[in-house]
Amino acid sequence: MSLVSGPGRGGASAGGHVPDELKLVVEKHVEYIQSLDTRQDELEYWLTEHLRLNGVYWGLTALHLLGHPDALSRLATIDFILSCQHENGGFGAAPGHDAHMLYTVSAVQILGTVDALEELDRRGKAGTEKVGKYIADLQNQETGSFAGDQWGETDTRFLYGALNALSLLHMLRLVNVSKAVTHIQACANFDGGYGVSPGAESHAGQIFTCVAALAIVGRLDLVDKDRLGGWLSERQVPNGGLNGRPEKVEDVCYSWWVGSSLAMIDRLHWINGDKLAQFILRCQDPEKGGIADRPGDMVDVFHTHFGIAGLSLIGFPGLIAVDPIYCMPREVTKRLLSKLNT
Amino acid sequence: MASHGVPRVQPATDRDQKKEQQKIKDYKGLVDSVNDGIRGYQCTTKTLELTSKLLKWNPEYYTIWNHRRLILKHQFEHPDPQVTNAVAGPDHETVMNTISDELAFLIPLLRKFPKCYWIWNYRLWLLKDSTRLLSVLEARKFWQQELALVGKMLSLDSRNFHGWGYRRTVVSALESIALQAEGSATSMTEIEFEYTTRMINLNLSNFSAWHNRSKLIPILLDERGADHLARRNFLDEELELIERALWAGSEDQSLWFYHQYLMCTFDRKYAAESMAPDLTTTERSTYVREQILKVRDMLDGAEDCKWIYQSLISLSILYRDLGNESIEKEVAIEDYIAELIKLDPLRAGRWNDLKSQTT
Repeated sequence: MSLVSGPGRGGASAGGHVPDELKLVVEKHVEYIQSLDTRQDELEYWLTEHLRLNGVYWGLTALHLLGHPDALSRLATIDFILSCQHENGGFGAAPGHDAHMLYTVSAVQILGTVDALEELDRRGKAGTEKVGKYIADLQNQETGSFAGDQWGETDTRFLYGALNALSLLHMLRLVNVSKAVTHIQACANFDGGYGVSPGAESHAGQIFTCVAALAIVGRLDLVDKDRLGGWLSERQVPNGGLNGRPEKVEDVCYSWWVGSSLAMIDRLHWINGDKLAQFILRCQDPEKGGIADRPGDMVDVFHTHFGIAGLSLIGFPGLIAVDPIYCMPREVTKRLLSKLNT
Repeated sequence: MASHGVPRVQPATDRDQKKEQQKIKDYKGLVDSVNDGIRGYQCTTKTLELTSKLLKWNPEYYTIWNHRRLILKHQFEHPDPQVTNAVAGPDHETVMNTISDELAFLIPLLRKFPKCYWIWNYRLWLLKDSTRLLSVLEARKFWQQELALVGKMLSLDSRNFHGWGYRRTVVSALESIALQAEGSATSMTEIEFEYTTRMINLNLSNFSAWHNRSKLIPILLDERGADHLARRNFLDEELELIERALWAGSEDQSLWFYHQYLMCTFDRKYAAESMAPDLTTTERSTYVREQILKVRDMLDGAEDCKWIYQSLISLSILYRDLGNESIEKEVAIEDYIAELIKLDPLRAGRWNDLKSQTT
């Protein structure tokens, strides 16, 4: 899966005029995602190798939400994921890249989506227990926060990732959940939002990670829902798109960070879903497929994924329902979370 | 990450194609030599130089930053026996020169890729190593330079998320016991508070600066040992500042969020963590009443500013919750909500919820 941007451009055929009735070009998006791994003759394919595993997660999840779960080879997907694993249980972005929380979480999500988590024990370089342990060992016993890897960068993204993957593996027992919750509370701000670490400014992306982490462990009661909902709803700008912080420009990926956070606190109706859908659709390339950050920019698989996930969240017709906590198809998380822990 | 804000490029010609293929070959060759060097445990200056070349090309390649850490670690742990005393470990001058060179190497990269997480992380790792390996005075110099650097960065992009986060990290390091010659922590709260004032005066719309201010004030007042009167005076000054700002820009949401922060002082739910937690109910009511009158005055000539109605609604609810009769018999909260639904249709769902809660 390539992270190469383009070749298309969002709103390419519109020529300045946007029709009122925009369609989601499902088939084009499927073809676009399928074509991504054939672009090895582009330098950017190699320059984005450090995101390859994320790219598979974005592409695969988008395909599932579009109702085309078999558009990528299941076996090739599993093989690629396992080829990124290290003996300590962690996963890197691609073969030969160092293990890191971000890719380990994506690996668990991907294997879970294609119903192949048991492959870890069957033919992974390390089995499920070791994957869980790799993640759990990155928790700081004092503060409850999580590092991204052995070099120690700490961020609420990693805390969320850890709880996400460990809950899917039924291994939350390996970490100190109450300390993790205390850490999230330390990242809260007066505006109801959360930052990357204690003291940091509220940011829609970090709000998603903190609220979703609380949702996973059943502690949404700690969220100041009205105040946070108010702040999040002000992210919507007149053209329907959403930004990540006050006075910043809108971007398709915030359709997800803002929208899912609002959904988790039961306030998704505090923004205008129709106008958001129109904005996302205007960012599509109707001819070559793919979605860009804003109309007129180059498309890429990251924004394609978050645009489609955003549309699914607001109940856009024809899409498979997405789980706002995990950003995976709801059917998949239902299946994984209900599996008995063996 | 991905292609934020990338405009479309022209399709490639055959000549471009050839050039592209050559570039791919060069890039992959460089990646292979770096990885070979690491796998062969060649933690040498030559491998380090190769990583420099690669990281200048692609600073997002996080594994290469890790390789670089391994090389430096090796050099610090296995110093050249000819220049150092093996028992005492690496000599400070070598470590200082190395860290200094590394920090300088990163400057053009940060300028070109100010949002790349991995560069910032690597930089912090170097600085933490300086604290670990050097004397307080030596390490402190490095950290102090960082404060100047991040100040420069924020003057170029005053909302840079990494920049503000980095600044807080540098400040807390400079405040920490590990970097005090006398062994006791020294606070920089007053200096940092002044810094937010400067940034706000340059540009009122800087929510990052207002946010940092909100975090610094409670610490500042505690450190000053402020009594009830001092806290009230401080609050009055902040109110005056935000009122002046709001008159200048009543459409600016950064300002209204800071106003909301100040109003927490009068709200039982939030007062305990505010800058003046011990106000009496009467004091709170007086303040809120005054705010209602002031915000209502702003409506004159700005009847289509939705923020004013939002503020009037929450202030009126607050005033009522403090046990007061409504100030204004003629204008009810419902009328303000009706205005909001008209002025702010994007958030009609929110205002309808509010309507059903208040009636």
